[in-house]
Amino acid sequence: MWNVIAVFVLLAGLSVPTIGFAETIHATVNGLVCGFCATGIEKTFKEEASVENVAVDLESKLVTVELKKGQQMDDATFSKLVTNAGYNVVSIKRDKNP
Amino acid sequence: MLRLILACMLLAAPAVAKPISYVGGTMVMMENDETGNTLNIDYTFDPRFAAGLYAKKERGGEEYATIGPQLNALIYRWNLPDGQANIFNYTGGGASRIRGTTYATGWTGFLADYETRRIFTSYEAKFMAVDDIEVSTWQRARVGVAPYLANYDDLNTWAMFQVDYHPNKDRDITLTPLLRFFYKTTLAEIGVSTDKDVMFNLVQQF
Repeated sequence: MWNVIAVFVLLAGLSVPTIGFAETIHATVNGLVCGFCATGIEKTFKEEASVENVAVDLESKLVTVELKKGQQMDDATFSKLVTNAGYNVVSIKRDKNP
Repeated sequence: MLRLILACMLLAAPAVAKPISYVGGTMVMMENDETGNTLNIDYTFDPRFAAGLYAKKERGGEEYATIGPQLNALIYRWNLPDGQANIFNYTGGGASRIRGTTYATGWTGFLADYETRRIFTSYEAKFMAVDDIEVSTWQRARVGVAPYLANYDDLNTWAMFQVDYHPNKDRDITLTPLLRFFYKTTLAEIGVSTDKDVMFNLVQQF
């Protein structure tokens, strides 16, 4: 019986970080001055299966990408997608939301 | 006589927007001005390259149309904290149909721009050759100012002033004040030149 409980607790613990949290990536991007051109960022990220939502803010030069729960995207992949849209990433910060 | 017709009509149109968008993106540019009606369809397959089709029907009494593939290249881009600057080249070749005869045609152009959220400047030079009959040059400069700072989800408005220099035209300099509007993936421009010709351009990204 204790073995069953231990396995259950272990599995539940492992599943929390991958299923229970959605990650949000905040990136400061250089060159972000034209809204028409910046639509490429939104279109590029929205084609990724792991992406839930994308927001672009020209005022703060921020690109915010909300990932789907349990999904991940490393910095290299994120930067590559921004480069494909024509821009350069300056810095990346991450939040995990329940 | 043919040289004279070409000298009057060989007024190749430039690019309205940057000729490279985002990888996987398709951009359709339609330009309508005193020189004729132009259609550009470009597909960006690399951050530095786009391939497309250029077609133009010249305005005027004589039949004159050009069509052919075009390669757009980003030579260099400066992504700055509060601005962006670019140098592009576009080069194409195809056929021109002039009064029932088809001629081999080639063209190349350079576009340089710098913009912030408040100001816009650009300079463009284009060279076009129709067979061994004629070589034409054309230059355009633009300055613009945004009357308000629009964000990504807002309607953007720009007041611009355009100067065209066509050495082959009788009146070789054309001045065109214009308004540019864009919202998300749609960009439109409307202006009236000093020759009282209406200019209307439309760009759509897909």
